[in-house]
Amino acid sequence: MKKKKASLISKRQWFIGYMFMLPWILGFFILTAWPFIQTVYLSFFSVNRTILGWEREFVALENYRYAFFESVTFVPYLLTFVWMQAIYAPVITVISFILALLLNMSIKARGFFRAIFFLPVVVMSGPVMYQLLDAGGLTSVEIHNFTLWMMVAQFSVTAADALLYLFSHYTMMLWFTGIPIILLINALQKIDSGIVEAARIDSATSWQILWKITIPIIRPIFLVSMILTIVQLAGYTLNPVLPMIQESIHATVSGLGQASALAWIYSAVVLLIIGLAFLFLKEPKDKSGPEIKRRQMAWNER
Amino acid sequence: MVDKMKSTLAHPRVARLKQINYRNLFVYAILILISYQFIYPLLRMVSMSLMTEDDIINPVVNWIPQSLSFSNFRTALRVMQPMTTYFNSLWFSGIQALGSTLVAAMAGFALARYDFPLKKFWFFMIIVAFIIPLPVMMVPRTMMVINLQDYLQDALARDQFRLLGTVWPQFLLAFGGQGVFSTILILIFYNFTRMIPPALDEAAAIDGASSMKIFYHIILKLSVSTLLVIFLLSFVWNWNETHITNQFLRPGSLSIELVTSRLQAFEGMFDEFAGMSGGIATPEGETGSEMERINEAFRMSGTLISILPLFVLYLLVQKHFIKGIENTGLTGI
Repeated sequence: MKKKKASLISKRQWFIGYMFMLPWILGFFILTAWPFIQTVYLSFFSVNRTILGWEREFVALENYRYAFFESVTFVPYLLTFVWMQAIYAPVITVISFILALLLNMSIKARGFFRAIFFLPVVVMSGPVMYQLLDAGGLTSVEIHNFTLWMMVAQFSVTAADALLYLFSHYTMMLWFTGIPIILLINALQKIDSGIVEAARIDSATSWQILWKITIPIIRPIFLVSMILTIVQLAGYTLNPVLPMIQESIHATVSGLGQASALAWIYSAVVLLIIGLAFLFLKEPKDKSGPEIKRRQMAWNER
Repeated sequence: MVDKMKSTLAHPRVARLKQINYRNLFVYAILILISYQFIYPLLRMVSMSLMTEDDIINPVVNWIPQSLSFSNFRTALRVMQPMTTYFNSLWFSGIQALGSTLVAAMAGFALARYDFPLKKFWFFMIIVAFIIPLPVMMVPRTMMVINLQDYLQDALARDQFRLLGTVWPQFLLAFGGQGVFSTILILIFYNFTRMIPPALDEAAAIDGASSMKIFYHIILKLSVSTLLVIFLLSFVWNWNETHITNQFLRPGSLSIELVTSRLQAFEGMFDEFAGMSGGIATPEGETGSEMERINEAFRMSGTLISILPLFVLYLLVQKHFIKGIENTGLTGI
């Protein structure tokens, strides 16, 4: 008797829970999950709009062939994007970590600095970035005038190019650090001060504490901010692939099938990059101080 | 516990006495330098937009114009039409933010307070919705909108009826919880709701309040500040969003002029302008020619006008934005 009543209550709970989730679930299925599947399906078709409606014709891998072998711009753009991710995401995460460490020290005007670092999150949009970039408003140091850079260039062109890239993009990279900084400061403040103190008593230097305690503990947050950055960059108008996909949606000649193929390849690449980030930053097994982890978890539970 | 507090407090104090904080001076130096880098583009923008044409071409003038000029602004104002575009962007982003906030609050409440089957799965799906790149959904979404448009044209028997190029597709997205960064909004509300003592809703439930009433009278009323944070974040992100907007609200005869779309139009307009008077148009943006440099001043004024409302908003409620991100609970609970 008692048991039956309990299950009735829990069924009511289920129902109410689902009722509140309903708008999101419906939206997710109709506007996100279904289109996602549909895109994969459409990428094997040639889709055109006629007076009678949508005309689909099965073309097998033709759209993919176009994307990889025929289109002059798609593969280079995609590579540019991959390089951008490969450089931006780690650099942004590392810079955010350093800034979070600095802001976590006992300094004054912390709120002021934090407010400045967060400002770009609010004002940054595709067109604004485009304008700033175009007017040269994003590079404050003209590194190719530096003797040091010229020396590097004599030495190796690749290194010089990499430096040039870093220096011409670093303000833009900084502008992505707003949210990761906040997340990382938040994580840093949750570190059990007891562990740090114990390490200090055992005469560990700050450098050792950083590598043996701080970094292992906030490693998951690295992953979170990395994924956040990758997703932000993937939806960012200044990467060259997005406008191209958009143009192909509007192009009447190539049809929507082609646009689907391009979009799908692009997404697969993005998901692959996220997967890679996950592999690199996920918890290693039984390494990097399980004892510290255990203590930190005990601290969190309190 | 007290011992612990004492010991943690004592340590930095001793350290502070010993060294006159050269380390901190160093930290300040770095922070100030980096802050300068952060706002460099904005400073540059202000400086350039106040320059006269002579100043811009003059290589000697770098930061401070020889004479203040507002002529750039006058031109930019004419292009940006701030009165119309501000107003349009305001209501357009506002309604989307409203929809996103509402759905996020409902989903966050359900996840925080009710146990239902597949809850973990839905959590996972909320994260997935964040990770799936936008372009992969755009083709079928566009087709859906066109299909719906066809259907409604038939149903209403009006050929001129349009959905594509109007604000409706995006409102639909927002009210379906699939707006810009909806996942983050849900997580913020979820975490906040978990901080409200469940005893409150239990008491209300015992007194016979329905779940709707609990949601409205207890959860929503206690989390007004959180709702505001979510709304503001969503508002700003919708204001700055261009990818979906370019797709659904294509600049055309039917659509409304937003601040961002106007700023995009800016390029085209002035490229044309430069092309007419300077001879050859440079679509790739080869900076260096004088005409281009003058354009930059106009554009910088335009950009300044476009971010001004957001900037003012940020100055007013800066703390709330940061609080919101802190409350996502992404850093482990």
